[in-house]
Amino acid sequence: MTDLLNAPEDSAFRAEIRAFVEAELDPATRAKVSRGSPLAREDFLRWHQSMHRKGWVAPGWPAEHGGPGWSARQRLIADEEMFRLHTPPLPGFGLKMIGPILIRFGSREQQQRFLPRILSCEDWWCQGFSEPGAGSDLASLRTRAVRTDGGWLVSGSKTWTTYAQYANWIFCLVRTDPEVKKQQGISMMLIDMAAPGVSRRPIRLMDGTDEVNEIFLDNVFVPDDLVVGEINMGWTYAKALLEHERLGIGGIGRSKHLLARVREMAEATGLGDDPEISARLAAFEIDIMAIEATTLRLLAAAEAGRTLGAETSLLKVRGTEVQQGLTELMLDIAGPAALPESAGDCADALFANVAYQFLNWRKLSIYGGSNEIQRSILAGQVLGL
Amino acid sequence: MIRFELPTEEALLLKDTAERFVADHYALEQRAKALSAAPGDVPRHWAEMAELGWLVACVPEDAGGLGLTPAQIVPMMEVLGAGLILEPVGAVSLGCAAMLARALSPDDVAERLAPVLAGEAIEVVVAGRDGAPIAARREGGNLVLSGASPAVIGAAAATAFWVVAELDGSRMLVRIPAEDAAVTPCRLVDGQAAAQVVLDDVTVPADEAISGCHAALDFGADLALVGVLAETSGVIDALHKATLDYVKMREQFGRPIGRFQVVQHKMADMFIACEEARSMVLLAAEAMESKDAAFRGKLVSAARVKISDAARAVLRDAVQLHGGMGVSDELAVGHLVKRLLVLTQTGGNRAAHLKRFAKAA
Ligand SMILES: Cc1cc2nc3c(=O)[nH]c(=O)nc-3n(C[C@H](O)[C@H](O)[C@H](O)COP(=O)(O)OP(=O)(O)OC[C@H]3O[C@@H](n4cnc5c(N)ncnc54)[C@H](O)[C@@H]3O)c2cc1C
Repeated sequence: MTDLLNAPEDSAFRAEIRAFVEAELDPATRAKVSRGSPLAREDFLRWHQSMHRKGWVAPGWPAEHGGPGWSARQRLIADEEMFRLHTPPLPGFGLKMIGPILIRFGSREQQQRFLPRILSCEDWWCQGFSEPGAGSDLASLRTRAVRTDGGWLVSGSKTWTTYAQYANWIFCLVRTDPEVKKQQGISMMLIDMAAPGVSRRPIRLMDGTDEVNEIFLDNVFVPDDLVVGEINMGWTYAKALLEHERLGIGGIGRSKHLLARVREMAEATGLGDDPEISARLAAFEIDIMAIEATTLRLLAAAEAGRTLGAETSLLKVRGTEVQQGLTELMLDIAGPAALPESAGDCADALFANVAYQFLNWRKLSIYGGSNEIQRSILAGQVLGL
Repeated sequence: MIRFELPTEEALLLKDTAERFVADHYALEQRAKALSAAPGDVPRHWAEMAELGWLVACVPEDAGGLGLTPAQIVPMMEVLGAGLILEPVGAVSLGCAAMLARALSPDDVAERLAPVLAGEAIEVVVAGRDGAPIAARREGGNLVLSGASPAVIGAAAATAFWVVAELDGSRMLVRIPAEDAAVTPCRLVDGQAAAQVVLDDVTVPADEAISGCHAALDFGADLALVGVLAETSGVIDALHKATLDYVKMREQFGRPIGRFQVVQHKMADMFIACEEARSMVLLAAEAMESKDAAFRGKLVSAARVKISDAARAVLRDAVQLHGGMGVSDELAVGHLVKRLLVLTQTGGNRAAHLKRFAKAA
């Protein structure tokens, strides 16, 4: 795989990342990640703690709040190397979502109370935005908060909440004013998952896992000091959040990692030189290069002072398309060997997770704003259609 | 010669029984129960399926079957595919029985096939990876077979295997009782029972091997594939219908998502894929009546290529348009998707079929 970030200072930085990972990552966890197996809570936590000790968990955070002070370019390199070396992803809802929100919009007390616990992963956050009736049209959400003494009583339900089974806190969008235009009556609240009235039901997915959940909120008391920023400004904060980490959204590291894995499979099955398979592998490598080049071009513009707008949606669309395409190529290489259930006795270790990953990664083009919604954003906000 | 004849009354009757059977026995909760059985158990409804005539449908009359043409069983196989049945009807009736009826001598046929057609014994064909024959060598008056097949549908509960073996460059069929092979039962990602079958120096008297059955073997492999393609077409159609219903019902931004043009265009593409898939299955099925094996193979391969492309495209959009619900286990969609995955991963890869198509005159 050709790396475009290869100036001398890039290589030195790469080497530093690599040395750390080689020394710290537990080989069993590493093997799981490299095969694309589902990870347990401990797999995530152990790696988070190593990274935390090193001070590297929050590359996007300002140094005063505990970030390592990396440039955007260094963040891309780190991301790439971490994927290459099969590190577990860091639980993202605290580090990439609510953390940055609190840094920008949270109160001093909220920052002091929550940020250190996000860095140490003492708190595991989940994201309560989507509802059964509000998916792509998030602003139509109906979970409502009613004013009470010293705070709010929240009732409703949230769905598709990733890893809520591991989480002890959830940040929710709730309706605090039903009378105004739908975007204007929404607030963001922080809710303790152990608070009375919060319950959870796992949702089984077609790949057999249950990484998402339904959350029920039944008259849950939320004190005023757990409302983020101002009342009725939640939509603005959520949008700011979705704009955060935009340049990472193409998932270049993830794509490169997967491509390497697919190449290995092709080699192991003797299809490495097969004209059709090797042409497809090369085409994917070029696709990834195009996404990377586009990311770097936007990055250079951002560093030169231009504000990035909605055009970064293109990175999400293309990144996820390439990743899903690679899971299809894995299936084609595996053939019938992809079919036995991965838990059973007939599974071939090399291909044990191929079908699982194909099924699981269908989600990539659905969540985080579906690809149709991203294309509408490009058409509307960038092209003015 | 290809006429696209409408289904005969017999074919419609079979299709009706299949529809009624699925409605009665294959609601998702009933299916979930069946899935908790051990994969090696005799499939739940096997005897009933035999009684309904599904196993004999495509077996010639003089071998004890109904003698329906392949095209006439397409509607039934479509229904069984979309119904997500867990019993290996296609593997036993098309892949094995219909082929054996052509491979065995007239004296043998009735005796050998009777228990299979009656649903008393399950027998399936076993070949190596991608359908390649399993290696045999001669030792004195015996044949010794060694080889493995990773995921043979129906093999978990089979009492005997018909092994496609190769000796000195020519193919033959060898019947091996299941206890002589190492059989590891498992379920496939869609829940169907299968098994890994390993033959480790299995010895059989050479005079029991059935040689000179090339034509039957080729016919059987293609007929089994036509069965798979018919099931695929049924699943594609079911996914299209489920998605169509969903986009008419699911509202976002104050209207059904089916009112958004991009969704409409995806649905229209899905419809095109369904229609093409059905045409290609029927084309391949009718071609099976030709005596010209190359012509048959060419059209079956063409159908395979077109239908697996259609299946991929429909699978992607069906899940996508269901949003989060599409990746859940709660609707039929997820289960249909997994069946589609299994159906498209078996029966030889796309490149091999493109090659066979291109080479045939
Ligand atoms: C595995 C997984 C994990 C998730 N994790 C979380 C989480 O942790 N927290 C959270 O809050 N949410 C989470 N989500 C929810 C995710 O954000 C929603 O699934 C997503 O926003 C889509 O909403 P929906 O599922 O309701 O689909 P719908 O909005 O019903 O969309 C269905 C289909 O219609 C299309 N569509 C809808 N509107 C339009 C339009 N205007 N124009 C064109 N096409 C349109 C969509 O693109 C999609 O293809 C997760 C989802 C999944 C699948």
